[in-house]
Amino acid sequence: MTRTLWRDHAWQLIHTEPQPPALHMALDEVLTHEVGAGHRPPTLRVWEWGGPAVVIGRFQSLRNEVDADAAQRHGIEVVRRVSGGGAMFIEPGNTITWSIYAPLSLIKGMSFQEAYAWMDAWTLEALAELGIEAWYQPLNDITSAGGKIAGAAQAHRGGAVLHHVTMAYDIDATKMLEVLRIGREKLSDKGTQSAAKRVDPLRSQTGLARAAIIEHMIATFRHRHGLADGALRADELTQAKVLAREKFTSHVWTADVP
Amino acid sequence: MHGEYKMPGGKLIVVDLELVDGHLAQVRVSGDFFLEPDHALHAIDAALEGQSADADEHVLASAVRARLAPGVMMYGISPEAIAVAVRRAIDPDTAP
Repeated sequence: MTRTLWRDHAWQLIHTEPQPPALHMALDEVLTHEVGAGHRPPTLRVWEWGGPAVVIGRFQSLRNEVDADAAQRHGIEVVRRVSGGGAMFIEPGNTITWSIYAPLSLIKGMSFQEAYAWMDAWTLEALAELGIEAWYQPLNDITSAGGKIAGAAQAHRGGAVLHHVTMAYDIDATKMLEVLRIGREKLSDKGTQSAAKRVDPLRSQTGLARAAIIEHMIATFRHRHGLADGALRADELTQAKVLAREKFTSHVWTADVP
Repeated sequence: MHGEYKMPGGKLIVVDLELVDGHLAQVRVSGDFFLEPDHALHAIDAALEGQSADADEHVLASAVRARLAPGVMMYGISPEAIAVAVRRAIDPDTAP
């Protein structure tokens, strides 16, 4: 396997109507597999959230990360994703989330650190065009002078890499802190006393509507890497719905690391 | 018992465990690190299970390393950092 370049692939876009959180988790697993098996071209999927969620990383302790009572009180679904990294607090409209599914050849020979930055070089370009100077802060953050903008996570599965990113658009930091138990230890090297200040909303920095930022990001990807409009196949959606029901809404999976 | 360690330049590693007759039991490692393949987490927990409560960081890290299959990739976490989190869980008073 030799390294491939972005332009060696025929990228396809999936951007559908809002979907439930567990279905998003399942789609990441299904589409990573489909690209790895050569059943679909490398794909950029932009997420629309059908409801509020806390998404915890593959290796995070459910109990340590989430205040279950607060989540229930606010009607927030708790789901575990297939990739590592930290918990995210999601309300429809408060974040911008996407996934890239690519053959492993795209990051062949790269260190983890290089691969994260490589997969999001287009993101930094898109943000710069919106007037935000942002950079990659290893291991997996995109940050700016005004604070952290986004977190990324990767997972390797059967010949493909999943790279997904959530950017903070307009986070309700107070509610987020009620629901997430953010460890004192985690903040120890961030140089700030306030967890609320760690996530800097994209809205305040651009003044743009969320949809306008998404539109601009898609255009940047299209210009830089090439991107054709695509759609979920019916069989992919069916597989994902089964997986959402049997795995991603099950306590066995969500509490796999209790 | 509960220990946390933020690996310098890495991610948060959390260890929850019990001590039974001077040995580690019900060890659960968690955190916002990255690990491939993901089931390697269970091998890490298993490597720590039953270790002596007196085991030093070197012994604990070696036990974890020995249990990991070839090809396991870690990002933001290491056997040494896991060992620190375990010691912090056992000796909460000595954590800086």
